[in-house]
Parts: sequence; structure tokens; C-alpha cells
Amino acid sequence: MSPTDTHVFFLNRISIRRNQVVSMDNNHEQDLEELELFQKHISDRFTQLLPTTGEEETLTSDDISDQMLSITWFRKLLDTYLCCESEFKAVLIIGRDSSQFSKPPLDRLLPEHLDRTVKALDICNAITNGIEVIRHWQRLAQIAVDALEQRPFVEGHVRRAKRALNTLLMSMTGEDKEQNAHAGKSAERMWSISRRGGAGGAVALPAVNHNRRAIISRSLSSNFMRSWSASKQILAMTTNLAAPRGGDSTGLGLPVYLMSSILVLVMWTLVAAVPCQERVGPHFQLPRHLVWTQPMIVLQEKIGEEWKRKEKKGTSGLLAEIQVIEKVAQNLVEFAEGFDFPVGAEKADEVAEQVAKLAEVCRKLEVGLGPLQLQVREVFHRMVRSRAEVLDVMDVVAKINTHVAC
Amino acid sequence: MDSTYNDHTTLLKAQQIILRYDSTVSDDTRNHMIFQSDRNQIDDYLQAVDEIQRALQSTTVSNDEEQSTRVNSTIQIAMARLEDEFRNILISHTAPIETESLTESFSSVHLTSRTSNSSLSEFNDTDDSVHSINSLAIGNSISSLERGESSTTIASCRSTSSIREIDLIPSDIVYDLRSIAERMISGGYYRECVQVYGGVRKSAVEASFKKLGVEKFSIGDIQRLEWETLNTKIGKWIRAAKVCVRVLFASERRLCEQIFENLGNDVDDLCFVETVKAPAIQLFNFAEAISISRRSPEKLFKILDLHDALVDLLPDIEAVFETKSSESVMVQVTEIVSRLAEAARGMLSEFENAVLREPSRVPVPGGTIHPLTRYVMNYISLISDYKQTLGELIVSRPAAGSRYSDDLTTPDMDFADHEGQSPLALHLIWIIVILQFNLEGKSKHYKDNSLAYVFMMNNIHYIVQKVKGSLELREMIGDRYLKKLTGKYRQAATRYQRATWGNVLNCLRDEGLHATGSFSSGVSKTALRERFKSFNAMFEEVHRMQALWLIPDTQLREELQISISEKLIPAYRSFLGRFRTHIEQGRHPENYIKYAVEDLESALLDFFEGNAINPHSRRRSQ
Repeated sequence: MSPTDTHVFFLNRISIRRNQVVSMDNNHEQDLEELELFQKHISDRFTQLLPTTGEEETLTSDDISDQMLSITWFRKLLDTYLCCESEFKAVLIIGRDSSQFSKPPLDRLLPEHLDRTVKALDICNAITNGIEVIRHWQRLAQIAVDALEQRPFVEGHVRRAKRALNTLLMSMTGEDKEQNAHAGKSAERMWSISRRGGAGGAVALPAVNHNRRAIISRSLSSNFMRSWSASKQILAMTTNLAAPRGGDSTGLGLPVYLMSSILVLVMWTLVAAVPCQERVGPHFQLPRHLVWTQPMIVLQEKIGEEWKRKEKKGTSGLLAEIQVIEKVAQNLVEFAEGFDFPVGAEKADEVAEQVAKLAEVCRKLEVGLGPLQLQVREVFHRMVRSRAEVLDVMDVVAKINTHVAC
Repeated sequence: MDSTYNDHTTLLKAQQIILRYDSTVSDDTRNHMIFQSDRNQIDDYLQAVDEIQRALQSTTVSNDEEQSTRVNSTIQIAMARLEDEFRNILISHTAPIETESLTESFSSVHLTSRTSNSSLSEFNDTDDSVHSINSLAIGNSISSLERGESSTTIASCRSTSSIREIDLIPSDIVYDLRSIAERMISGGYYRECVQVYGGVRKSAVEASFKKLGVEKFSIGDIQRLEWETLNTKIGKWIRAAKVCVRVLFASERRLCEQIFENLGNDVDDLCFVETVKAPAIQLFNFAEAISISRRSPEKLFKILDLHDALVDLLPDIEAVFETKSSESVMVQVTEIVSRLAEAARGMLSEFENAVLREPSRVPVPGGTIHPLTRYVMNYISLISDYKQTLGELIVSRPAAGSRYSDDLTTPDMDFADHEGQSPLALHLIWIIVILQFNLEGKSKHYKDNSLAYVFMMNNIHYIVQKVKGSLELREMIGDRYLKKLTGKYRQAATRYQRATWGNVLNCLRDEGLHATGSFSSGVSKTALRERFKSFNAMFEEVHRMQALWLIPDTQLREELQISISEKLIPAYRSFLGRFRTHIEQGRHPENYIKYAVEDLESALLDFFEGNAINPHSRRRSQ
């Protein structure tokens, strides 16, 4: 559809609406009903994302496929976002007298919502980048799996696995970025040979070190300037987010507020789960007095708790698969540290079990990351499109107004 | 038996070599880089690795558990060593590409500067107009349009493939890297290979980015930047992107092929993706951010530049990112291109709306060319400069009102009059139609009808001149419509003459001068004196007023002066010839005959010059 068509389309809508011989009361009632339904759908959709009772303890269980914060769960979350977004646009634009867009409160709320959307677009890009980082981790984990599945089981294999896992863990905890502080030790862990300038002499030491650091921490070097911060974006999205009050609470301000909240919640959850620049998180609050927010609040609290728990340990992200990798990697490194040859049968079984676990997660990531990344991109596209559509409506309204004014 | 023995000693020797460089043994061995020492050492080591790998395959070894374990351990040590050597070589060759010569050759070869100075310099003429340019709804963009576009360079040729690969790493080093990669991959270390390679090369690409001036921007940053700043950045980005795709990425691709081709596991492709995918996404994020920024008419041409540059790059991007694993880059760029196209379409219709609704109401003094007319016509000329791209992008007719609509806020346009013209041409005509419509509205704010006609004449004449002045524009608008426009300004000129000079010429008629019943002298002196008096007064007033009016086009001004003079002078001369004696016979003839024919002729030259006449200087000249 060309933009001209869109204009015509919206203009038609407006005129149809204006020419309708419907009493105001009927319209208003219909609107209220629509809003009510929208809220109910949101509530239903988010309820489905909550863990069913008894499932909560499964965070430590082996099968993480369906649990909260797994890739599968995130795909459902993004689906939920897309559904809510479609309905939002229907409620907001279709069949609406668009003169409302230029009047309070929408003339303020919509630009604010669009502004949040732009921030969310950047977060989507950061998440896409973060998924690449997870891929990088997955490959390192896969090296360990490959090495430890080798038979005969020799020290070289263990060393190989250990090297990959140490790189992995360092990247996960962000230690690679802090190498300046304790350069020697981590560099040694990372490199099987800690090379110093003297021997070959081709490259001066500082340059090499600098390069190394760049390479090691590359996984987190994102596509943004260093000052960009996911948490600041989230914070900026929440600062002017306030529930409509009084008369506004039954008008179109409500769906805009709802959609903004969903947007913030989804972005916040993504940032919590996927490694991205400066994700140490603000914990935003959703208002408690609205019925529809209940499942969202529960969700947000659960993730918030999880976040607080993990924050102390590291910053790798709450994605269930990542957590498994991190834990198994730690176990295996521990094993590798105390490795004695030959390995006893019991020990060997234990290691085999861990390796199988790691292999399983790698497989899940292999299968899941691609579609997740595509879906993030889909969310991105949707936001771009919606933003353009809302801008179109606002522009048309603005034009009609200028014209009336002259 | 002998051969087994020989094998055994070779194997032992090989093992010794490997173990000699076991990095875990001591700092000395750890710091000694084999590939930085002499060739023999390198060859010995590589040979040893080959020996061990061969042994691993052989049945004699795999049947002997103890020996198998030992060989296995050795190969792991060798692999760890090779990985470090591989990394070390790569790190020593991460210098960013030389950009100076590249950007220069690229801009001269592939960018033909098409400067639009001529069409835009006219913006400066509007300075003396009391119309603040900012009072135009679209006016705040004029200055940026002018400044930005005057330095625009447009890729005018669509090249097929302009890929230029360079050697990122010297070929002997590439050979070493391939020797190592070959062994790592056959030893099952291809993942390490990819990790190490991708990591180091990615930072090399980032260093080149820095040198090329590829900046990291978030979409939020881009939305916040001033359009003027962005304008410059787009130009810079286009140049950088060309080098990135055609030189940097293409050379990275070739390097991967040189090192990894045919080593199995699609390692060459994996390495390329690891190296370039994230930087490529970063690069195109800028164009993406631009493609979703808010639309406004003055952005159109820079958006088209960006669009054209990307379209131009598409075949090269396709060639460089040809594999499945890197296709997402191609997908992203295609999306951006279509979004830019969409934005361009949106901006054109936004421009049409802005022209229609441009609200300034203060009449331009002197009825001269309205800033809106200049702006719109310059904009249209620029559109015609981009007619190739826009012709492809604009496929639907303008949303013009039909003649049957009773909507008085939109002009009509009958497409039947324009059969066979392209949608883009229809849009240009439509823009002229709505410009005229808007100007008609503005002309109503003049209190003097004559001035309103001069205003319309001036503006439509300007439109015609602009169209005639550009071959592309003339071709698109078509002679038929141009004729129609010419007719319109002529009509305005005729209307002006009727409105102003009808009354003046009325004074010079014979009717009503002859006293009733008297045939001999026959002329009523009183009536004649009144006639002369009112002619003088009228002409003086018209002269005073219309000297202030302005027809900036010299030819048009002279034509109108001549046309007036052709009517006025003969009429006055004959009137004077017939009645002069009647006045001169009476008292104070100078009170009634103020103008000699020559006076009128010279007075007419003051008309439409835009200057106040000086009554004193005139008297002196008399």
C-alpha cells in the first residue's frame, strides 16, 4: 500500500466515522466495551505466560524447554507482544474519530509512546546483538562438549575443554572486560600460552595486549556507542509512564498506557535475559490498582527476584539456557582443575552426565536462537510499521487542523 | 618389519618435536613462537604434526591402547600450540585498510558530482521579500534544502560490480595461516579456528570502520540529530559504505577463501560470517535508522541519494554475502531499500500536502514572485534531476480531486488531459496545479485587483520559465500543459490591462465631449477640461503606484510596458492632436495638459521597476 493509499484510507475512515448517524452514547458504550475486552485479552495472554503452580521449583530441573525465561517461553512472550500490539492498533486507530489524536491526552501520550518505541527499537537491536553473543558462548560450549566426548579420554582433551570453558565463563561474567585490573591471571586462563613481547619481538607488548583485550571482550562489543546503556533506555521508557487518572482512565489514554507498559515489560524482560550493553537493571513498578496488570505484575516480580538473585554472581543474563550453560561450565571447570588420570568410573559417569547436559543445551540453542532472533526482528518491523501508521494518522489530523485554521 | 621400525622412529621424533613446544612446560617454550623463527623450524613442526595425525589414522597405533593415548595427548598439545600460533600471526596483521586512496578513487570513479547550485541559488533572491521565509509552513526547510543540496553528489551511474579486493594479509603469511588451519581442521579443531579467526578479524574490521569514519549510532541518536548534521553524515556514510562493501568486506571474504577454502565444514563461510556479520549490521543500522526517521519534504533528496546508493550496492552486497549464513545482511539491506522507497513516496505526498496547505496570507508587496513559488519550483527541478529513481518509485497517480467533487479545498485535475504521461509527470503537474490553486487564494488578499493579476502573471510566468529552463522538466511536464500555463499568464496580463487601463483610456474617448446641439466648435470646454484633469490624476496615480510594483523578469516587464504603450500612446497622441487647441485657447493650459507624449513614454518605463518615483526629478527633467 503506497502512503497515498494510506492517507486516503485513513481519510476515508475519518469521513465515514463523521458521517455515521450513530448516537454518541452508543458509540461511547461500544468504545468502553472494546477497551474492556482489550484489557481482558491482555490479562489472559499474560496469565498464560505465568508458570503453573508447582512448576516454580523446576528452575533447577533438567527440562528447561517450557519453563519461564527459556527460549521457548520468550518466543511465547514475543508472540504475546505481537498479539497485543495488533489489538492495540485496532482499538486505537480503526473506526476511531482521529480528531482525538490532536487533543489531550492523546496529543501528549501518543508522541511519548512513539518515543518509547524508538528506544525499544534500539533495545531490539541490542538483543539481536546479544543473541550473537549467546551463539558465541554456544560455540565455546560445543568445543568443550566435543573435547570431552572424545575417546580415549586424555589430558589434552580436558585441557582443550577447560580452555574453551574458561573463555566462556570469562565472557559470561564480563571479566574479560575488566582485564586491565588483573590482566595477567585472566589472560593466562584464556591463552594456553601467555605470550610476552620478548621472544618474537615482532609486535610490541602493549599493542598485542590491547588487541587481545579487544578480541576477548569482542563478544560484548556491541553496535552502539559505549555510552549507550540498555538499562538507561528502560529507565527512560518508564520515567513518564503513568496510568491515566480520572476521566482519562476510560478514554483512549488507557490503551496507549497499556501498550506502553507491555512494551516496557517485554523489553525489560529481554534485557534481563539476554546479554547486552549495561543491562544492570532498574526494577520498574507497574501500578497495582488495575485489574489487568495483575499477571504482568506477578511476572515482573518473579523475574525481578530472579534478577536480584543472579545479579550478585554475574551479568550473563537470565535466559534459562544460559544459566544451565554457566552452571555446567563451572562444574566442568572444577572437574578439570582436579583432573587425575586415569579417571575413575564414578567420576567419568558424573562428567558424562554434565557433558550430556551441556550438549543438550547446545542443541536447544542451535535450534532456538535463529527463530528467536527472527522473531525479535519481526517485533522490530512491527514497531517500525506501527509507528509509521500512528505518525500518518497524526500528520493527517495535523493537516486537517492547519487547513481549518486558515 | 623395517618399515614399522622406521615409522616408529619417525613417530618418536615427531612426538619429541611436539613436546619440545608444549606450552604448558615452561615460560620459555610458551614465549617462543615457532612461526616467528626460521623456515626449517616451521616446516619441521608442521611435518611432525602431519606425522602424528597420520599415526592417529593408522591401525597399528589405534590397536595399541597405550600408544594411542600417547599419540592422542601429543596431538592435543600440538593443536593447542597451533591455535596460539594461528592467533599470534593473525594479531600481527590487523592493520586497518588504507582508506585515503580508496575513498578518493571511489568517489571519483563511482560518484559523478551533480551539483544543483544553479537551481537553488535562487533561494537567495527571496531575502528582500518582507515574507519571512519561516512564515511558510514548509519554509523552515528552505535553508537546509539549499545548503544541503548544493553540495550533493549523486551516484548517477548504476555500476554492476565494482568490487575491488585487496590483500589484507601478505600472501606468504596467508600461506602459513592456511598450513595451520588445514591441520587444525583435520585435527577436529575447526571450532577453535573459527573462534580465533573471527575474533581477531572482527576487531580488524572494526579498526577499519574507525578509519573510514563509520560511527556507532543508535536509532534514538539518529532521531535526535538535526537534519543538517544528518545530511552531512548521510553523504559520508554513503562513501564509507561503498568502501566497506566493495573493498573491506569483499577482501575479508577473499581472505577467508584463501585460508579456508576446501578445508571442509564450510569453515571459510563460517569465518567470514563471524568476522563481518556484526560489523555489517552495525554499518547498515545507520541507513535503517534514517529509513525510519520522520518524513519531511526537505529530506526527500538525501533519502533518494541513500536509496540510490544502496540500490547501487545491492548486487555487490549480494555477491559478497551470497551464502545462506550471511543472507540476513542482504535481507536487511533489501528491507531498508524498500523502506526508503516508501519514505520517498510519503515525502512526495507530504510535499504536495504542504504546498496545498501552505498558509501564509500576507501578500507579497509589489505582486512579485512568492517565495513559495520559488521553493516549489526549485523542488520540482530537483525532482526532475532524480527522475530515474523517482520514476521507478512513483507508480500511482496523485490523489487529485476530481472535477465532480464539490470539495472547494482541493483543486481539480482531469487526468484525461494527460494521457500517456508517467505517474511522476502527473505528480509534477499536480504540484503545479496545487501551487497555482494556493497562489490564487493568496492573490485574493490583494486589495487592488490589478495587482492581483500582476501577481498571478509574475508567478505563473516564473513557473513557465522554470519548466522551460530544464530539459528534463520540460519533457515531463509536456508542451501541452506548458502552453496552457503560458495562456494563463497571458490571460492575467490581459486582465491587468483591462483593470488598470480601461478607465484611463476611457478619459481619452470622444464620446461625451461634444456639446449637444453645437456642431461648429462642438466641444464642451468644461467636459474637456474635466477629461484632461481626470486623465492626469489617474495616470499620475497609476504611475506612482505601479512603479512600485515589480515584474522581476526584464523581458516580461518590457513586453507589458510596450503593450501598454501601444494602447496608451496612440490614444493619447490622437486625443491631444484633436483637442489640444481647445485647451491652449483657454487660460492656464498647463493646468490641463500636463503630459507631453514623450512624458508618458518615459513614465511608462518606470512601471513595474519596484522603485518609488521621484516627483522632483521628474519636474526637473521636464
